[in-house]
Amino acid sequence: MSWSVVTENLPYLLRGTVSTVAIAAGVVVVGTAGGVVVGLLRFVPGRVLAAAVGWVVEVVRAVPLLLLIFFIFFGLPAIGLKIPTFPAAVLAMSLWMTVNTAEVVRGGIQSIPHGQLEAARSTGLSGLQAMRYVIFPQAVRRMIPPFVGLCTILVKDTSLAAIIGVFELTRAAQETIERTFRSFEIYLAAAAIYFAICFPLTQLAQRAEARLQRP
Amino acid sequence: MTGTAYSFAWAAVWQGLPYLLEGAGLTILISLASMALALAVGTLMAALSQAPGRVLPRLVRAYVEVFRNTPLLIQIFIVYFGLPQIGLKLSPFSSGMWALVLYTAAYNTEILRAGLEAVPKGQHEAVRSTGLTEFQAMRYVIVPQALRISLPALGNNLVSLMKNSSLVSVIGMVELMFVANDISFNNFRSFEIYGAAAVLYVALVLLLTRALHVTERRLALAR
Repeated sequence: MSWSVVTENLPYLLRGTVSTVAIAAGVVVVGTAGGVVVGLLRFVPGRVLAAAVGWVVEVVRAVPLLLLIFFIFFGLPAIGLKIPTFPAAVLAMSLWMTVNTAEVVRGGIQSIPHGQLEAARSTGLSGLQAMRYVIFPQAVRRMIPPFVGLCTILVKDTSLAAIIGVFELTRAAQETIERTFRSFEIYLAAAAIYFAICFPLTQLAQRAEARLQRP
Repeated sequence: MTGTAYSFAWAAVWQGLPYLLEGAGLTILISLASMALALAVGTLMAALSQAPGRVLPRLVRAYVEVFRNTPLLIQIFIVYFGLPQIGLKLSPFSSGMWALVLYTAAYNTEILRAGLEAVPKGQHEAVRSTGLTEFQAMRYVIVPQALRISLPALGNNLVSLMKNSSLVSVIGMVELMFVANDISFNNFRSFEIYGAAAVLYVALVLLLTRALHVTERRLALAR
């Protein structure tokens, strides 16, 4: 085993890391915005829309992310919709992040006792105002731990983009291995970099969870 | 040829269906087998996390954090491409299984450890005072309760495992995702074939989720 191969190729791996972080950050922004909207749609008055949104979320969540990526990258061109690798991967991951965030939002809102809504309504607030000023602010606190957990999974899952050829950390590792043939050291180095990003996030989620348990 | 592209497309799904169903069957088998092994590893690790002294619990902690905080895809690559370099060559099947089991077991360890710690400490002392040995107390009183507490989270982990098992297609292990790739790279009907594979995954996951709900309700304590 030679570790000099890692130090020599570290700058390239770090370029991949920058790309990984940028992709994850972009997807978090899009997915959070989408997820909050979709999650809130499940609480609009009238059963049909809420139920339909619930079904779509459940169905999309059941599809593996790799299949979402392949469907968008290989499947859509077959019906004439050609999307390059990078936007295809980002689109698939944003869709994934949206439905999973929507589920976190739903869980957070449902964890607030129903009496709170009734109390808010009885003070004369409209349904929308009650959600905006009473329910949602309380629910957000409970959404934070699972949401940070979701972000950790997303960072790990950006590695799937490498399979269709998007340049990020895993792809950078693969390209380095094509040059050096040192797969063991390089993949371990890539794993260490992912760990350096994800471990603090996991700790953050745990701390937020512990804080929530305290009264 | 007068048929529309659409009717041809459905024929492609129809032709591929037996092969896709075979893939779905393999996905179920791989998920259940990996989960069984991951439960064994997870139970052992969770027990070790309760061991006296600092060394064993810390080693378990390190295992859990390393495997939870690195991508499964990288773990699969390390096992399949990395280990041969240090003289350990495994087939795509064993590489895929090992990676899935170790990754899933890390989550199981954490779930079962939390379950064990959720059983009130007083119970342990109470049981020991009735004359049961340490092992008997764990076997008959603590572990059954811990398992019941852990069940919903273990079920969620099984659902994740079923979806995650699609990643082993990348190293050539045959399951639903591999079959979908195989068919669509040959007949170029990727839209319909990946669509059909998605329908099968949704069916598998929804069936599993319902089955887990029923089990949870059956095992729930009478209130």
